[in-house]
Amino acid sequence: MSTRDLVLTALFTAIVIVLGIIPPITLGFIPVPITAQSMGVMLAGCIIGAKRGALAYLLLILMVAVGLPVLSGGRGGLAILAGPTAGYIAGWVVGTFVTGLIAERMVRESQSGGRQIAGFLLASVVGGIGVVYLMGTIWLSINTGMGFFAALTGNAVFLPGDALKAGIAALAARAVLVGYPLLPQRT
Amino acid sequence: MLRSLHIDGATPLHRLSVRIKLAGLFLASLAIFLTGSPLLLGGAAVLSALVLASVGMSFSEAGSRLFWPFVSIAIVAVATGVFEAPLQGLVVLLRFATLILLAAAVTASTEVGDFMEEITVLMLPFERLGLVNAADIGLALGLVLRFVPEIATRYESLRDAHAARGLPVRPLKMLAPLIILTLKDADMIAMAIDARGLRRQ
Repeated sequence: MSTRDLVLTALFTAIVIVLGIIPPITLGFIPVPITAQSMGVMLAGCIIGAKRGALAYLLLILMVAVGLPVLSGGRGGLAILAGPTAGYIAGWVVGTFVTGLIAERMVRESQSGGRQIAGFLLASVVGGIGVVYLMGTIWLSINTGMGFFAALTGNAVFLPGDALKAGIAALAARAVLVGYPLLPQRT
Repeated sequence: MLRSLHIDGATPLHRLSVRIKLAGLFLASLAIFLTGSPLLLGGAAVLSALVLASVGMSFSEAGSRLFWPFVSIAIVAVATGVFEAPLQGLVVLLRFATLILLAAAVTASTEVGDFMEEITVLMLPFERLGLVNAADIGLALGLVLRFVPEIATRYESLRDAHAARGLPVRPLKMLAPLIILTLKDADMIAMAIDARGLRRQ
């Protein structure tokens, strides 16, 4: 791992933490404030790619584990990792990796803007929503004895907000790709 | 800005080594799945609450730290009770409550530095295999702590710049400039690290 990769990873972890500290931005047409932090999975995968993105989230979880209040609302500590939502937190790492893998394969700098946004949107939806919900739900249903599909339906509450985040993340990732491309490209 | 969740003190739990506390937490997390008896689990939850009370945290501080974890347990327990059996919901509630109280006690009684030392030790076998460089973890952590306040300040100036021009502050408008401005520094920081020989490879 080059020093530059290490620095990019650490800087992205810092960005994700700041997204949790700043006051939630209320979207005009939706009365619920949107916490920008869970968007970080999609942003990290689409902007710095699979490996560095997943490492950025591992670093974040390490900071949670050693007792730094780095999650939104000043949450942190081992209690967060021991709770029923631990599967979602593990899902962030895998989700970022999957988002990055798809983005690295789908998006080219030579493509038109529309195709790039579509590629980022697909990567964000599959990695940032699909993988995260899947891992969170499996963990939840193992630990509670609840049926998998009953637990899966519980995610429906978060789906509209997360779909909106995927859209915002795709547009932001495209803007970063134009301004300062960092995403590795695979064939 | 980022203040550790560690609580100063010299209670028995503070004096215990990090490794024993983590091993204890791990064993407890396995043990609570060995039994499905609400009575035994209820006892375990009360015991964990006593352990947490022994680290000398004020009641309001404990309450504010554990509020969200308990909300999430409550939702999960109610859902389990409704979809499965009410007794199963109670079992889930007690299991997670035990675990969260113990985990909060470990976090409150352990300093970040001690934790990092233990992590470095845990990483040694992986380092011998050439999978990870334990010193890099500390360096990356230091970078994050160094840059969080700077990025927060950058966000504020971006927001003020928007406000000064009468532009609405929208998440999309803020994200791209914030990320580009931050990541653009990566090359300079990496050069500075290499120039000082902070990473011996």
